[in-house]
Amino acid sequence: MITRNKRSGAGRGDILLGIVGVYLVYLLYASGFFTAAAWQDFNRRFYQNFIKDDRYMMLVDGLKSTVFMTSGATVIGVIVGLILSVIRVAYKGGVHIPVLNKFAETYITVLRGTPAMVQLLIWNFTIFASARDLNTQYIAILAFGLNSGAYVAEIFRGGIESIDPGQMEAARSLGLTYGSSMRHVILPQALRNVVPMLFNEFIALLKETSIAGYIGIDDLTRAGQNIQALTLEHSQPLVMVAIIYLIIVLFLTHLVRKLEEWLSRGRR
Amino acid sequence: MKKVFACLLVLALFAGVCFADEAKLKGIDQLKTERLAAQRGTVGQFLAEDLLGDKKGELLTTFEKYVDAIASLRQGKVRAVVMDEMPAKRFVNEVEGLVIMDEALSEENYAIGFKKGNTELVESVNKILAEMKADGTLAAIFAKYIDGDYSAVKPEDIDFNKGAEGGKFYVGTEAGFAPYELRVGSGYIGIDVEMCAYIAKKLGKELVILNMNFDALPTAVSTGKVDMICAGITVTDERKENMDFSDNYVVGAKQVAVVRADDYEK
Repeated sequence: MITRNKRSGAGRGDILLGIVGVYLVYLLYASGFFTAAAWQDFNRRFYQNFIKDDRYMMLVDGLKSTVFMTSGATVIGVIVGLILSVIRVAYKGGVHIPVLNKFAETYITVLRGTPAMVQLLIWNFTIFASARDLNTQYIAILAFGLNSGAYVAEIFRGGIESIDPGQMEAARSLGLTYGSSMRHVILPQALRNVVPMLFNEFIALLKETSIAGYIGIDDLTRAGQNIQALTLEHSQPLVMVAIIYLIIVLFLTHLVRKLEEWLSRGRR
Repeated sequence: MKKVFACLLVLALFAGVCFADEAKLKGIDQLKTERLAAQRGTVGQFLAEDLLGDKKGELLTTFEKYVDAIASLRQGKVRAVVMDEMPAKRFVNEVEGLVIMDEALSEENYAIGFKKGNTELVESVNKILAEMKADGTLAAIFAKYIDGDYSAVKPEDIDFNKGAEGGKFYVGTEAGFAPYELRVGSGYIGIDVEMCAYIAKKLGKELVILNMNFDALPTAVSTGKVDMICAGITVTDERKENMDFSDNYVVGAKQVAVVRADDYEK
Protein backbone atom coordinates (compact mmCIF):
# COMPACT_ATOMS: atom_id res chain seq x y z
CA MET A 1 0.00 0.00 0.00
CA ILE A 2 1.27 3.43 -0.85
CA THR A 3 1.37 5.79 2.09
CA ARG A 4 0.64 9.39 1.24
CA ASN A 5 2.36 12.32 2.80
CA LYS A 6 -0.28 13.10 5.38
CA ARG A 7 0.05 15.70 8.11
CA SER A 8 -1.39 14.76 11.45
CA GLY A 9 -4.02 17.06 12.96
CA ALA A 10 -5.73 20.03 11.35
CA GLY A 11 -3.66 22.41 9.24
CA ARG A 12 -4.28 26.11 8.74
CA GLY A 13 -6.23 25.37 5.59
CA ASP A 14 -8.64 23.15 7.55
CA ILE A 15 -9.24 25.88 10.14
CA LEU A 16 -9.95 28.45 7.42
CA LEU A 17 -12.27 26.01 5.68
CA GLY A 18 -14.04 25.46 9.00
CA ILE A 19 -14.53 29.18 9.53
CA VAL A 20 -15.91 29.67 6.03
CA GLY A 21 -18.19 26.64 6.48
CA VAL A 22 -19.56 27.90 9.79
CA TYR A 23 -20.08 31.33 8.20
CA LEU A 24 -22.02 29.83 5.28
CA VAL A 25 -24.24 27.83 7.61
CA TYR A 26 -24.80 31.01 9.66
CA LEU A 27 -25.78 32.87 6.47
CA LEU A 28 -28.28 30.13 5.58
CA TYR A 29 -29.66 30.24 9.13
CA ALA A 30 -29.89 34.05 9.09
CA SER A 31 -31.78 34.01 5.80
CA GLY A 32 -34.37 31.65 7.28
CA PHE A 33 -33.24 28.66 5.28
CA PHE A 34 -34.01 26.13 7.98
CA THR A 35 -37.69 27.00 8.46
CA ALA A 36 -40.51 24.86 7.07
CA ALA A 37 -41.76 27.67 4.83
CA ALA A 38 -38.30 28.05 3.31
CA TRP A 39 -38.18 24.34 2.57
CA GLN A 40 -41.55 24.47 0.90
CA ASP A 41 -40.37 27.40 -1.16
CA PHE A 42 -37.17 25.57 -1.99
CA ASN A 43 -39.14 22.52 -3.13
CA ARG A 44 -41.52 24.62 -5.20
CA ARG A 45 -38.64 26.33 -6.96
CA PHE A 46 -36.87 22.99 -7.42
CA TYR A 47 -39.99 21.64 -9.09
CA GLN A 48 -40.18 24.70 -11.35
CA ASN A 49 -36.52 24.61 -12.32
CA PHE A 50 -35.98 20.94 -12.93
CA ILE A 51 -39.11 18.80 -12.85
CA LYS A 52 -41.81 20.83 -14.62
CA ASP A 53 -42.02 20.15 -18.37
CA ASP A 54 -39.00 17.83 -17.96
CA ARG A 55 -36.67 20.78 -17.68
CA TYR A 56 -33.90 18.57 -16.31
CA MET A 57 -33.63 17.27 -19.86
CA MET A 58 -32.14 20.64 -20.81
CA LEU A 59 -29.32 19.92 -18.35
CA VAL A 60 -28.97 16.37 -19.66
CA ASP A 61 -28.71 17.62 -23.26
CA GLY A 62 -26.25 20.29 -22.11
CA LEU A 63 -24.16 17.67 -20.34
CA LYS A 64 -24.11 15.53 -23.49
CA SER A 65 -22.83 18.51 -25.44
CA THR A 66 -20.16 19.29 -22.81
CA VAL A 67 -18.96 15.68 -22.75
CA PHE A 68 -18.99 15.48 -26.56
CA MET A 69 -16.92 18.66 -26.91
CA THR A 70 -14.49 17.64 -24.17
CA SER A 71 -13.86 14.19 -25.63
CA GLY A 72 -13.46 15.52 -29.17
CA ALA A 73 -11.08 18.22 -28.02
CA THR A 74 -9.15 15.66 -25.97
CA VAL A 75 -8.47 13.52 -29.03
CA ILE A 76 -7.32 16.52 -31.09
CA GLY A 77 -5.30 17.82 -28.15
CA VAL A 78 -3.36 14.58 -27.67
CA ILE A 79 -2.58 14.19 -31.37
CA VAL A 80 -1.53 17.82 -31.86
CA GLY A 81 0.39 17.87 -28.57
CA LEU A 82 2.27 14.67 -29.37
CA ILE A 83 3.31 15.89 -32.81
CA LEU A 84 4.40 19.30 -31.52
CA SER A 85 6.39 17.90 -28.62
CA VAL A 86 8.21 15.38 -30.82
CA ILE A 87 9.14 18.19 -33.23
CA ARG A 88 10.49 20.27 -30.38
CA VAL A 89 12.39 17.43 -28.73
CA ALA A 90 13.78 16.12 -32.02
CA TYR A 91 15.15 19.55 -32.81
CA LYS A 92 17.11 19.54 -29.58
CA GLY A 93 18.10 15.88 -30.10
CA GLY A 94 19.84 16.48 -33.39
CA VAL A 95 17.09 16.14 -36.02
CA HIS A 96 17.18 19.74 -37.27
CA ILE A 97 14.16 20.87 -39.26
CA PRO A 98 14.19 24.61 -38.41
CA VAL A 99 10.89 25.42 -40.19
CA LEU A 100 8.95 22.80 -38.24
CA ASN A 101 10.59 23.76 -34.95
CA LYS A 102 9.86 27.43 -35.49
CA PHE A 103 6.25 26.56 -36.35
CA ALA A 104 5.84 24.47 -33.19
CA GLU A 105 7.40 27.19 -31.07
CA THR A 106 5.17 29.91 -32.50
CA TYR A 107 2.09 27.70 -32.22
CA ILE A 108 2.70 27.00 -28.55
CA THR A 109 3.51 30.66 -27.79
CA VAL A 110 0.43 32.05 -29.52
CA LEU A 111 -2.10 29.48 -28.32
CA ARG A 112 -0.85 29.54 -24.74
CA GLY A 113 -0.46 33.30 -24.74
CA THR A 114 -4.05 34.16 -25.65
CA PRO A 115 -7.27 33.38 -23.74
CA ALA A 116 -9.23 30.34 -24.92
CA MET A 117 -12.34 32.52 -24.98
CA VAL A 118 -10.80 34.93 -27.51
CA GLN A 119 -9.57 32.02 -29.62
CA LEU A 120 -13.03 30.47 -29.64
CA LEU A 121 -14.61 33.71 -30.85
CA ILE A 122 -11.97 34.12 -33.56
CA TRP A 123 -12.46 30.54 -34.78
CA ASN A 124 -16.21 30.94 -34.95
CA PHE A 125 -16.64 34.49 -36.23
CA THR A 126 -13.50 35.05 -38.29
CA ILE A 127 -11.95 31.83 -39.54
CA PHE A 128 -15.14 29.82 -39.93
CA ALA A 129 -17.33 32.83 -40.66
CA SER A 130 -18.75 31.37 -43.86
CA ALA A 131 -19.00 27.75 -42.71
CA ARG A 132 -22.67 27.90 -41.82
CA ASP A 133 -23.77 24.33 -42.35
CA LEU A 134 -20.96 23.11 -40.11
CA ASN A 135 -22.26 22.21 -36.65
CA THR A 136 -20.94 24.87 -34.26
CA GLN A 137 -19.90 22.10 -31.87
CA TYR A 138 -17.26 20.96 -34.34
CA ILE A 139 -15.81 24.47 -34.46
CA ALA A 140 -15.69 24.45 -30.66
CA ILE A 141 -14.01 21.03 -30.64
CA LEU A 142 -11.39 22.31 -33.05
CA ALA A 143 -10.81 25.50 -31.06
CA PHE A 144 -10.58 23.73 -27.70
CA GLY A 145 -8.56 20.84 -29.17
CA LEU A 146 -5.95 23.04 -30.81
CA ASN A 147 -5.73 25.18 -27.68
CA SER A 148 -5.33 22.14 -25.48
CA GLY A 149 -2.73 20.76 -27.91
CA ALA A 150 -0.37 23.60 -27.00
CA TYR A 151 -0.58 22.73 -23.31
CA VAL A 152 -0.35 19.00 -23.96
CA ALA A 153 2.78 19.61 -26.07
CA GLU A 154 4.52 21.13 -23.07
CA ILE A 155 3.37 18.28 -20.84
CA PHE A 156 4.75 15.71 -23.30
CA ARG A 157 7.98 17.64 -23.73
CA GLY A 158 8.46 17.65 -19.96
CA GLY A 159 7.77 13.91 -19.90
CA ILE A 160 10.20 13.13 -22.72
CA GLU A 161 12.92 15.30 -21.22
CA SER A 162 12.48 13.57 -17.87
CA ILE A 163 13.75 10.32 -19.42
CA ASP A 164 17.44 9.80 -18.80
CA PRO A 165 19.51 10.73 -21.91
CA GLY A 166 21.34 7.43 -21.39
CA GLN A 167 18.25 5.61 -22.66
CA MET A 168 18.47 7.35 -26.01
CA GLU A 169 22.23 6.82 -26.19
CA ALA A 170 21.81 3.12 -25.42
CA ALA A 171 19.09 2.71 -28.05
CA ARG A 172 21.13 4.53 -30.68
CA SER A 173 24.25 2.49 -29.88
CA LEU A 174 22.17 -0.67 -30.48
CA GLY A 175 21.70 0.57 -34.03
CA LEU A 176 18.17 1.98 -33.79
CA THR A 177 17.48 5.16 -35.73
CA TYR A 178 16.52 8.34 -33.86
CA GLY A 179 12.90 7.83 -34.89
CA SER A 180 12.56 4.26 -33.73
CA SER A 181 14.46 4.91 -30.49
CA MET A 182 11.97 7.66 -29.85
CA ARG A 183 8.97 5.51 -30.73
CA HIS A 184 9.97 2.27 -29.07
CA VAL A 185 12.15 3.34 -26.16
CA ILE A 186 11.56 6.93 -25.06
CA LEU A 187 7.84 7.56 -25.73
CA PRO A 188 6.48 4.46 -23.90
CA GLN A 189 8.34 5.52 -20.77
CA ALA A 190 7.47 9.20 -21.18
CA LEU A 191 3.77 8.43 -21.66
CA ARG A 192 3.69 6.59 -18.36
CA ASN A 193 5.08 9.68 -16.65
CA VAL A 194 2.71 12.15 -18.22
CA VAL A 195 -0.62 10.29 -18.02
CA PRO A 196 -1.65 11.84 -14.67
CA MET A 197 -0.76 15.33 -15.89
CA LEU A 198 -2.65 14.71 -19.14
CA PHE A 199 -5.73 13.73 -17.20
CA ASN A 200 -5.52 16.93 -15.19
CA GLU A 201 -5.31 18.89 -18.42
CA PHE A 202 -8.52 17.26 -19.61
CA ILE A 203 -10.28 17.96 -16.35
CA ALA A 204 -9.32 21.61 -16.90
CA LEU A 205 -10.58 21.33 -20.48
CA LEU A 206 -13.94 20.03 -19.29
CA LYS A 207 -14.40 23.14 -17.20
CA GLU A 208 -13.11 25.38 -19.98
CA THR A 209 -15.85 24.26 -22.38
CA SER A 210 -18.25 26.27 -20.21
CA ILE A 211 -17.48 29.28 -22.42
CA ALA A 212 -18.97 27.55 -25.48
CA GLY A 213 -22.26 29.36 -24.86
CA TYR A 214 -20.64 32.45 -26.33
CA ILE A 215 -20.80 30.95 -29.81
CA GLY A 216 -24.31 29.63 -29.33
CA ILE A 217 -23.72 26.09 -28.08
CA ASP A 218 -26.10 24.89 -25.40
CA ASP A 219 -23.52 23.23 -23.19
CA LEU A 220 -24.12 22.43 -19.51
CA THR A 221 -23.47 26.00 -18.33
CA ARG A 222 -25.64 27.47 -21.04
CA ALA A 223 -28.40 24.96 -20.26
CA GLY A 224 -28.42 26.34 -16.72
CA GLN A 225 -28.70 29.86 -18.10
CA ASN A 226 -31.54 28.77 -20.38
CA ILE A 227 -33.42 27.42 -17.36
CA GLN A 228 -32.74 30.74 -15.59
CA ALA A 229 -34.32 32.61 -18.50
CA LEU A 230 -37.35 30.30 -18.35
CA THR A 231 -37.99 30.40 -14.62
CA LEU A 232 -36.34 33.75 -13.77
CA GLU A 233 -34.73 31.97 -10.85
CA HIS A 234 -31.09 32.77 -10.36
CA SER A 235 -29.44 30.49 -7.85
CA GLN A 236 -30.79 26.96 -8.19
CA PRO A 237 -29.97 26.29 -11.86
CA LEU A 238 -26.42 27.59 -11.42
CA VAL A 239 -25.79 25.66 -8.22
CA MET A 240 -27.13 22.51 -9.89
CA VAL A 241 -24.79 23.06 -12.85
CA ALA A 242 -21.88 23.51 -10.44
CA ILE A 243 -22.78 20.29 -8.62
CA ILE A 244 -22.89 18.35 -11.90
CA TYR A 245 -19.47 19.68 -12.94
CA LEU A 246 -18.08 18.86 -9.52
CA ILE A 247 -19.38 15.28 -9.60
CA ILE A 248 -17.77 14.68 -13.01
CA VAL A 249 -14.49 16.26 -11.93
CA LEU A 250 -14.40 14.24 -8.69
CA PHE A 251 -15.08 11.06 -10.65
CA LEU A 252 -12.29 11.85 -13.13
CA THR A 253 -9.90 12.76 -10.31
CA HIS A 254 -10.68 9.41 -8.71
CA LEU A 255 -9.86 7.72 -12.01
CA VAL A 256 -6.52 9.55 -12.25
CA ARG A 257 -5.60 8.37 -8.77
CA LYS A 258 -6.46 4.77 -9.62
CA LEU A 259 -4.50 5.11 -12.85
CA GLU A 260 -1.50 6.53 -11.01
CA GLU A 261 -1.51 3.59 -8.62
CA TRP A 262 -1.85 1.17 -11.50
CA LEU A 263 1.01 2.79 -13.41
CA SER A 264 3.38 2.86 -10.46
CA ARG A 265 2.65 -0.83 -9.81
CA GLY A 266 5.72 -2.96 -10.32
CA ARG A 267 8.01 -0.01 -10.72
CA ARG A 268 10.19 -0.98 -7.86
CA MET B 1 0.75 36.40 7.98
CA LYS B 2 -1.69 33.75 6.85
CA LYS B 3 -3.76 34.24 10.00
CA VAL B 4 -4.05 37.95 9.20
CA PHE B 5 -5.32 37.09 5.73
CA ALA B 6 -7.78 34.60 7.14
CA CYS B 7 -9.16 37.22 9.52
CA LEU B 8 -9.37 39.81 6.75
CA LEU B 9 -11.23 37.35 4.52
CA VAL B 10 -13.78 36.62 7.21
CA LEU B 11 -14.19 40.34 7.96
CA ALA B 12 -14.68 41.09 4.27
CA LEU B 13 -17.33 38.37 4.04
CA PHE B 14 -19.21 39.82 7.01
CA ALA B 15 -18.95 43.36 5.67
CA GLY B 16 -20.66 42.17 2.49
CA VAL B 17 -23.97 41.63 4.31
CA CYS B 18 -24.28 45.17 5.59
CA PHE B 19 -26.00 47.72 3.36
CA ALA B 20 -26.59 51.34 4.23
CA ASP B 21 -30.13 52.70 4.00
CA GLU B 22 -30.81 55.06 1.09
CA ALA B 23 -33.62 57.48 0.31
CA LYS B 24 -36.36 55.96 -1.87
CA LEU B 25 -36.49 56.51 -5.62
CA LYS B 26 -39.21 58.80 -6.94
CA GLY B 27 -38.62 59.46 -10.62
CA ILE B 28 -36.43 58.79 -13.63
CA ASP B 29 -34.31 61.92 -12.99
CA GLN B 30 -33.02 60.45 -9.75
CA LEU B 31 -31.44 57.55 -11.63
CA LYS B 32 -28.79 59.91 -12.99
CA THR B 33 -26.66 59.41 -9.91
CA GLU B 34 -27.55 55.81 -9.07
CA ARG B 35 -25.99 52.43 -9.79
CA LEU B 36 -27.78 51.01 -12.85
CA ALA B 37 -27.69 47.71 -14.73
CA ALA B 38 -28.52 46.76 -18.32
CA GLN B 39 -28.03 43.92 -20.76
CA ARG B 40 -24.84 44.34 -22.77
CA GLY B 41 -25.28 45.79 -26.25
CA THR B 42 -28.97 46.62 -25.79
CA VAL B 43 -30.69 49.97 -26.07
CA GLY B 44 -31.18 49.75 -22.31
CA GLN B 45 -27.42 50.08 -21.98
CA PHE B 46 -27.28 53.10 -24.31
CA LEU B 47 -30.11 54.81 -22.44
CA ALA B 48 -28.47 54.17 -19.08
CA GLU B 49 -25.20 55.58 -20.47
CA ASP B 50 -26.99 58.73 -21.62
CA LEU B 51 -28.66 59.05 -18.24
CA LEU B 52 -25.43 58.69 -16.27
CA GLY B 53 -23.23 60.79 -18.58
CA ASP B 54 -19.64 60.98 -17.28
CA LYS B 55 -20.39 58.70 -14.36
CA LYS B 56 -21.30 55.70 -16.50
CA GLY B 57 -17.93 54.05 -16.00
CA GLU B 58 -18.44 54.07 -12.29
CA LEU B 59 -22.17 53.44 -11.96
CA LEU B 60 -23.25 51.25 -14.89
CA THR B 61 -22.94 47.47 -14.81
CA THR B 62 -23.73 45.51 -17.96
CA PHE B 63 -24.65 41.82 -18.01
CA GLU B 64 -24.89 39.15 -20.70
CA LYS B 65 -28.27 37.99 -19.39
CA TYR B 66 -31.29 39.81 -18.01
CA VAL B 67 -31.57 37.27 -15.21
CA ASP B 68 -28.16 38.35 -13.90
CA ALA B 69 -29.14 42.04 -13.98
CA ILE B 70 -32.38 41.28 -12.12
CA ALA B 71 -30.49 39.19 -9.56
CA SER B 72 -28.12 42.06 -8.77
CA LEU B 73 -31.11 44.40 -8.47
CA ARG B 74 -32.72 42.07 -5.93
CA GLN B 75 -29.46 41.83 -4.00
CA GLY B 76 -29.22 45.61 -3.84
CA LYS B 77 -26.04 45.83 -5.93
CA VAL B 78 -27.80 48.15 -8.38
CA ARG B 79 -30.89 50.31 -7.85
CA ALA B 80 -32.52 49.95 -11.27
CA VAL B 81 -32.35 47.84 -14.43
CA VAL B 82 -33.05 49.61 -17.73
CA MET B 83 -34.79 47.28 -20.18
CA ASP B 84 -37.66 46.74 -22.63
CA GLU B 85 -41.16 46.89 -21.20
CA MET B 86 -42.48 43.49 -22.36
CA PRO B 87 -39.75 41.35 -20.76
CA ALA B 88 -39.79 43.71 -17.77
CA LYS B 89 -43.49 42.95 -17.25
CA ARG B 90 -42.73 39.26 -17.12
CA PHE B 91 -40.02 39.81 -14.49
CA VAL B 92 -42.33 41.95 -12.38
CA ASN B 93 -45.14 39.37 -12.63
CA GLU B 94 -43.02 36.40 -11.71
CA VAL B 95 -40.44 37.83 -9.32
CA GLU B 96 -41.76 39.16 -6.04
CA GLY B 97 -40.85 42.64 -4.87
CA LEU B 98 -40.12 44.29 -8.24
CA VAL B 99 -41.99 47.12 -9.94
CA ILE B 100 -41.67 49.12 -13.15
CA MET B 101 -41.28 52.88 -12.71
CA ASP B 102 -44.31 54.74 -14.07
CA GLU B 103 -42.40 57.01 -16.38
CA ALA B 104 -40.82 55.35 -19.46
CA LEU B 105 -37.33 56.34 -20.58
CA SER B 106 -38.08 56.26 -24.29
CA GLU B 107 -40.06 54.50 -27.00
CA GLU B 108 -38.36 52.39 -29.63
CA ASN B 109 -39.14 50.48 -32.79
CA TYR B 110 -38.05 46.90 -33.45
CA ALA B 111 -36.88 45.59 -36.79
CA ILE B 112 -34.98 42.66 -38.25
CA GLY B 113 -31.26 43.22 -38.88
CA PHE B 114 -29.35 42.23 -42.04
CA LYS B 115 -25.81 42.39 -43.34
CA LYS B 116 -25.07 45.83 -44.78
CA GLY B 117 -25.85 45.78 -48.51
CA ASN B 118 -27.99 42.63 -48.50
CA THR B 119 -30.78 44.63 -50.18
CA GLU B 120 -32.31 41.69 -52.00
CA LEU B 121 -33.13 39.79 -48.80
CA VAL B 122 -34.27 42.97 -47.01
CA GLU B 123 -36.74 43.64 -49.80
CA SER B 124 -38.17 40.14 -49.89
CA VAL B 125 -38.51 40.08 -46.07
CA ASN B 126 -40.17 43.52 -46.14
CA LYS B 127 -42.67 42.20 -48.67
CA ILE B 128 -43.50 39.22 -46.45
CA LEU B 129 -43.76 41.50 -43.37
CA ALA B 130 -46.19 43.78 -45.24
CA GLU B 131 -48.32 40.73 -46.15
CA MET B 132 -48.25 39.53 -42.54
CA LYS B 133 -49.40 42.93 -41.33
CA ALA B 134 -52.13 43.14 -43.98
CA ASP B 135 -53.67 39.69 -43.51
CA GLY B 136 -53.49 39.74 -39.70
CA THR B 137 -50.88 36.98 -39.33
CA LEU B 138 -48.58 39.23 -37.32
CA ALA B 139 -51.41 40.45 -35.09
CA ALA B 140 -52.43 36.83 -34.45
CA ILE B 141 -48.88 35.97 -33.37
CA PHE B 142 -48.75 38.95 -30.99
CA ALA B 143 -52.17 38.03 -29.57
CA LYS B 144 -50.81 34.63 -28.50
CA TYR B 145 -48.19 36.22 -26.28
CA ILE B 146 -49.48 39.59 -25.24
CA ASP B 147 -51.21 38.60 -21.99
CA GLY B 148 -47.97 37.32 -20.48
CA ASP B 149 -49.09 33.69 -20.16
CA TYR B 150 -47.78 31.52 -22.95
CA SER B 151 -47.31 28.22 -21.17
CA ALA B 152 -49.74 26.78 -23.72
CA VAL B 153 -47.38 27.54 -26.61
CA LYS B 154 -45.24 24.50 -27.39
CA PRO B 155 -42.04 24.65 -29.46
CA GLU B 156 -43.10 21.62 -31.52
CA ASP B 157 -46.21 23.50 -32.70
CA ILE B 158 -44.11 26.06 -34.54
CA ASP B 159 -43.44 24.98 -38.12
CA PHE B 160 -39.75 25.36 -38.93
CA ASN B 161 -40.38 23.98 -42.43
CA LYS B 162 -37.96 21.10 -41.86
CA GLY B 163 -36.37 19.59 -44.95
CA ALA B 164 -37.41 22.46 -47.23
CA GLU B 165 -35.96 22.32 -50.72
CA GLY B 166 -34.70 25.90 -50.65
CA GLY B 167 -32.04 25.01 -48.09
CA LYS B 168 -31.51 26.45 -44.64
CA PHE B 169 -32.29 29.93 -43.42
CA TYR B 170 -30.15 30.96 -40.45
CA VAL B 171 -31.48 33.43 -37.91
CA GLY B 172 -29.48 34.70 -34.94
CA THR B 173 -31.22 35.52 -31.67
CA GLU B 174 -30.76 35.71 -27.90
CA ALA B 175 -33.37 33.41 -26.43
CA GLY B 176 -33.71 35.00 -23.01
CA PHE B 177 -36.07 37.77 -24.09
CA ALA B 178 -39.59 36.58 -23.50
CA PRO B 179 -42.11 37.04 -25.05
CA TYR B 180 -40.05 37.66 -28.18
CA GLU B 181 -37.80 34.61 -27.90
CA LEU B 182 -37.36 31.97 -25.28
CA ARG B 183 -35.64 28.59 -25.18
CA VAL B 184 -38.00 25.88 -24.01
CA GLY B 185 -36.56 22.39 -23.72
CA SER B 186 -34.69 21.80 -26.95
CA GLY B 187 -36.82 24.22 -28.97
CA TYR B 188 -37.80 27.86 -29.13
CA ILE B 189 -40.98 29.86 -28.73
CA GLY B 190 -41.76 33.57 -29.01
CA ILE B 191 -43.11 36.29 -31.25
CA ASP B 192 -39.85 36.67 -33.18
CA VAL B 193 -39.48 32.90 -33.55
CA GLU B 194 -42.97 32.46 -35.01
CA MET B 195 -42.49 35.47 -37.26
CA CYS B 196 -39.17 34.13 -38.56
CA ALA B 197 -40.67 30.67 -39.07
CA TYR B 198 -43.37 32.25 -41.22
CA ILE B 199 -40.81 34.28 -43.19
CA ALA B 200 -38.62 31.21 -43.75
CA LYS B 201 -41.62 29.24 -44.98
CA LYS B 202 -42.54 32.01 -47.42
CA LEU B 203 -38.95 31.99 -48.69
CA GLY B 204 -39.21 28.23 -49.15
CA LYS B 205 -36.45 27.53 -46.65
CA GLU B 206 -35.95 25.69 -43.36
CA LEU B 207 -35.56 27.94 -40.33
CA VAL B 208 -32.45 27.30 -38.22
CA ILE B 209 -32.10 29.37 -35.06
CA LEU B 210 -28.69 30.13 -33.60
CA ASN B 211 -28.98 31.18 -29.99
CA MET B 212 -26.09 33.49 -29.02
CA ASN B 213 -25.35 36.41 -26.73
CA PHE B 214 -27.01 39.65 -27.74
CA ASP B 215 -23.74 41.54 -28.22
CA ALA B 216 -22.51 38.83 -30.62
CA LEU B 217 -25.49 39.24 -32.97
CA PRO B 218 -24.15 42.17 -35.08
CA THR B 219 -20.89 40.26 -35.63
CA ALA B 220 -22.79 37.12 -36.60
CA VAL B 221 -24.86 38.87 -39.25
CA SER B 222 -22.02 40.96 -40.69
CA THR B 223 -19.69 37.96 -41.01
CA GLY B 224 -22.45 35.97 -42.71
CA LYS B 225 -22.84 33.40 -39.92
CA VAL B 226 -26.56 34.06 -40.06
CA ASP B 227 -28.85 35.47 -42.77
CA MET B 228 -30.62 37.83 -40.42
CA ILE B 229 -30.88 38.65 -36.74
CA CYS B 230 -34.22 38.91 -35.01
CA ALA B 231 -34.14 39.52 -31.27
CA GLY B 232 -36.36 42.51 -30.50
CA ILE B 233 -33.62 44.69 -31.98
CA THR B 234 -34.22 48.40 -31.65
CA VAL B 235 -33.50 50.51 -34.73
CA THR B 236 -30.89 53.18 -33.89
CA ASP B 237 -28.92 55.51 -36.17
CA GLU B 238 -25.66 54.05 -34.95
CA ARG B 239 -26.76 50.50 -35.73
CA LYS B 240 -27.97 51.62 -39.16
CA GLU B 241 -24.38 52.51 -40.02
CA ASN B 242 -23.31 48.89 -39.55
CA MET B 243 -26.32 46.91 -40.69
CA ASP B 244 -29.48 47.19 -42.74
CA PHE B 245 -32.91 46.94 -41.15
CA SER B 246 -36.27 45.66 -42.35
CA ASP B 247 -39.42 47.71 -41.83
CA ASN B 248 -40.46 47.96 -38.18
CA TYR B 249 -42.58 45.14 -36.84
CA VAL B 250 -43.00 46.68 -33.38
CA VAL B 251 -43.65 50.39 -32.99
CA GLY B 252 -43.40 52.26 -29.70
CA ALA B 253 -41.89 49.58 -27.46
CA LYS B 254 -41.21 51.34 -24.19
CA GLN B 255 -37.86 51.29 -22.42
CA VAL B 256 -38.46 51.25 -18.68
CA ALA B 257 -36.61 51.08 -15.38
CA VAL B 258 -37.28 48.09 -13.10
CA VAL B 259 -36.73 48.82 -9.40
CA ARG B 260 -37.38 47.14 -6.04
CA ALA B 261 -40.90 47.82 -4.78
CA ASP B 262 -39.64 48.77 -1.30
CA ASP B 263 -37.21 51.21 -2.87
CA TYR B 264 -39.80 53.11 -4.92
CA GLU B 265 -42.23 55.83 -3.92
CA LYS B 266 -44.70 56.97 -6.56
